[in-house]
Amino acid sequence: MEKTSKLGRDGAVWGLIMVAPTIIGLIVLNIWPFIETIYMSFSKSLPFGEFEFEGIDNYIEMFQNAEFWKATGNTIFFCIMTVPVGIFLSLIVAVLLNSKIRGRTTFRAIFFLPMVVAPAAVAMVWKWIFNSQYGIINTLLGLDIGWLTDSHIVLITCSIVQIWSNIGYDAVLLLAGLQNISVSLYEAADLDGASKVRQFFSITLPMVSPTLFVVLIMRLMSSLKVFDLIYMMVDDANPALNDTQTLMSLFYRESFIAGDKGYASAIVVWTVLLIGAVTLIQFIGQKKWVNYEV
Amino acid sequence: MKKISRRSFLAATAALAAMGLAGCGGSDDGTVNLTFQIWDVFQRDGMQAMCDAYTAQHPEVTIEVQVTSWDEYWTKLEAATMAKQAPDIFWMHTNEILKYADNDKLVDCSSIVETEHFSEISLANASGSDGVLYAVPKDKDTVGLVYNKEMFDAAGVSYPDETWTWDTLVEASQKIYDATGYYGYMAYGDDQLGYWNFVYQAGGSILTEDKTRGNFTDPATKMAMDFYIGLQKYDWCPTQTYFAETAPGTAFFSEKGAMFLEGDWNILPELQNYPDMVGKWDVAVLPKCPNPMSGDGRATISNGLSYATTKTNKHLDVVMDVLKFFGSAEGQRIQGESGAAIPAYIGMEDSWVSCFEQYPINITCFIDMFDYCVQSVNNAARPEWKTPVSDTLLKIYTGALSLDDGLNQMQQIVDQASAEYYEE
Repeated sequence: MEKTSKLGRDGAVWGLIMVAPTIIGLIVLNIWPFIETIYMSFSKSLPFGEFEFEGIDNYIEMFQNAEFWKATGNTIFFCIMTVPVGIFLSLIVAVLLNSKIRGRTTFRAIFFLPMVVAPAAVAMVWKWIFNSQYGIINTLLGLDIGWLTDSHIVLITCSIVQIWSNIGYDAVLLLAGLQNISVSLYEAADLDGASKVRQFFSITLPMVSPTLFVVLIMRLMSSLKVFDLIYMMVDDANPALNDTQTLMSLFYRESFIAGDKGYASAIVVWTVLLIGAVTLIQFIGQKKWVNYEV
Repeated sequence: MKKISRRSFLAATAALAAMGLAGCGGSDDGTVNLTFQIWDVFQRDGMQAMCDAYTAQHPEVTIEVQVTSWDEYWTKLEAATMAKQAPDIFWMHTNEILKYADNDKLVDCSSIVETEHFSEISLANASGSDGVLYAVPKDKDTVGLVYNKEMFDAAGVSYPDETWTWDTLVEASQKIYDATGYYGYMAYGDDQLGYWNFVYQAGGSILTEDKTRGNFTDPATKMAMDFYIGLQKYDWCPTQTYFAETAPGTAFFSEKGAMFLEGDWNILPELQNYPDMVGKWDVAVLPKCPNPMSGDGRATISNGLSYATTKTNKHLDVVMDVLKFFGSAEGQRIQGESGAAIPAYIGMEDSWVSCFEQYPINITCFIDMFDYCVQSVNNAARPEWKTPVSDTLLKIYTGALSLDDGLNQMQQIVDQASAEYYEE
């Protein structure tokens, strides 16, 4: 009896050693910086990493700042623009890639390709495509639209690029979900005379809903945190800069250009709360539509 | 299975970590390995040549030139300085020097710089707020007017020269636009390569004389800003929206416009990067203000880089000796001959000019302008007010703010940020 418990303790120690690299990594790289960030958000930042505790001043300044609210609005707008459309299109692509069409593997590879390309490279190419003077879109369609400079349009332009870059990845995840659906369900539906559209809404959609839920959560989080795309597409000299700034680009500016890391941390904490709230709502809401029965 | 206690596990981990940390440092055989960080890949060869000249005389020293792009240079340097791991020698820029100097990070270099060989502006660009030299002056620069000769010929307009005023600039631009359809002077809303020059020509300034407050509401400053921002109302001037997608240099070398402001440090790369354009363009001194509120209407912004090291450096004796060499006539000459930049050392300008012999370009105009150049705008709060001020400028350009409101707002931004550093 005593021997087994000793073995068990040994096992536990070995278990800890095995997971140690991950746990140490998490603590050093994620959890500790997270705690530091919260502390920093309540501090005044001095040059060279010095901090002075000052209470909620950063938050007061933040909530009174119009630029901050604009950035929050932009972030939510970007989210609304990209997530529903993006997921809808990914689902359609996934269903098409799941059907028996010629060259299916090639299509799958093509749709997944944007995911393999570095976001910076994607942004550079799209910047030329959307260039109002020499870009291919305006030239081919004979338009004169400031895709990247008209403050009302820039966020929509960025949304298009974001959706384009993510469709492949989401579609592959959904495709995996689709392939788990038993063929017998469709055969039964065929026998009952259900149309393809009816089959989609009554079988495919409910059966793929757990995967859809995962994709939705990931996509919402990543679009609330969008930075690289906007940073690459809209540079400092762009008059539309203020109208496209998201929370993360505001954070970057405050933290690394203006050097106010305390205030920047407050923006990050706010973003975390925002993402937390949105995710919480989704977990509550999922009970209404996600189907976990096979 | 051998049992490993938690304590011995922790000890092992700590030992591993210690080994990792001990990895950095000097070697035992007496050689000193130094790192030298810069941000301009184009100047790497020049910097390397300078280091080679030093190590040839001091075989016990090696210097490795590291290039980090401008975009991440300052983030990296700040983090490294915090961790006392800064490169042994690094370039300093006027944007940042006050932050480093005033926070007591840089070594006092007064004893190793032969101050009589450097201009007041060069020395000021390498000094902290207390007026002490915290770096060795590296180079100096000016801003000139680059123009496309073919477009001038096509419109029958004579080339820019020292007689040009703001009015000539406008007239020539109009004629070129009417005759060829190309843009005239491309008035980019940049500070150093744009409106700052015009403000100082008009007798205005961005900061007050003692640099503790903004000076945007000064009548001369306002007159120049009104003129400069007003340029974009002409058909021959692209809007800032255009520049957001196509930088003025890109537009110029794609032959879309006839003139723009360029710093001397970009001329050699542009000659090399656009071989087809060589001979089609030239440079001239900046046009002067016809009706300055004070002064003679001439000015160009002169910035300058410097070499610095941190107080916590482990090989300070060697590093200071290297820095002394970098600032000496010999070090500055090698830098100049490589074409990297105009040496800050007075009298060494020709070493830089000689790099342009093979090109048909009037490069000496950049040297001529040192006679009336003004020091690049700077105070300790600049990192804080720089971005908000350019945002506000863009709002004036787009019409979201009137000139008066915009300038008042810029004034307020600079004053508020500066108040934290300079008491009333």
